Amino acid sequence: MTTFHLPATDRTPEVAFDFAGHHLRLSGESYPEDAASFYAPVFAALDEYLRRLDGGGACRFDIELIYFNSSSAKILMILLERLDRAAGRGAAIDIYWHYEEDDDTMEELGGEFGEDVEHARFHLVRMAPTDGG
Amino acid sequence: MIGRDLYDLRTRLRRNGIVLCYSGSMNEAVLSGIGQALKQKMAVDRAGIGIARRVFGVFVEQMQNMIRYSAERQPALPPAGTRDLRYGVIAIGQGDGGFVVEAGNLVRRADVPELRRHLEQIRDRDRRELLALYKRQLRAGLADPGSEAGVGFIEIARRASRPIEFGFVEVDEQFFFFTLRAEIRSVEPLQP
Repeated sequence: MTTFHLPATDRTPEVAFDFAGHHLRLSGESYPEDAASFYAPVFAALDEYLRRLDGGGACRFDIELIYFNSSSAKILMILLERLDRAAGRGAAIDIYWHYEEDDDTMEELGGEFGEDVEHARFHLVRMAPTDGG
Repeated sequence: MIGRDLYDLRTRLRRNGIVLCYSGSMNEAVLSGIGQALKQKMAVDRAGIGIARRVFGVFVEQMQNMIRYSAERQPALPPAGTRDLRYGVIAIGQGDGGFVVEAGNLVRRADVPELRRHLEQIRDRDRRELLALYKRQLRAGLADPGSEAGVGFIEIARRASRPIEFGFVEVDEQFFFFTLRAEIRSVEPLQP
């Protein structure tokens, strides 16, 4: 698989995994009715890709979510763990946690989640201001 | 006279600063629809991004708590997999100081003491402690999905500007009416 893509909906984020370019991205909002079933295929694709990175690949993962609910927060925690574990096996992984200016709830959470990342490099990035949409 | 009762209700809601109110059957589609209207309302009112995200975050957790846990429910008809209808009330107030998101639903008498204890613990924590507790509960939920109950309440408390408020009103032998209220203050007064 060279790419995995899901378009954004009102309640689910855009998933844009460019495996060939080693650039993976989640953006938009995440409060699905059933977070576990929405993310199951996303993790299936990700896990397969991360296995191929073992022993020395590199990738960049951007988390650009402007809003997610508590069920999705649990999913993000799993995501960070998977990425960190892959980094522990030798891949060079950069995780970018983007938050909107003025959204200190997201900034704080990024800081808190980032503390548990040991092997990957975790970056907190402030997004450019938007129209509030 | 037809319409009088409804007009009185509307007047009472207005007087209390309630800009949006829904009482009745709830499911995920209701959450989506009201959520879109709420977002649009805050955009039109030019509420800042920080406050809009907080209000919306509290609204979603309040709705999902009712959809999952309200003790007032009607079983779904086939096809299998359709969820039960749950009943609850959500009200959003808006004033110079910001927003209030209040939700109410029935809970079983037997569940009241533990729910109250849990909410008291959340209410009495500061921001830093809430964040640590949030992460701890999420992590506990990874190992044992049953133990993550209440993580939505922590999310609400994290996004609220003041400690959450809650109450239990006795309805009958079986049920209490549970209310949870979160206030989100704007730093500067909202534009009219």
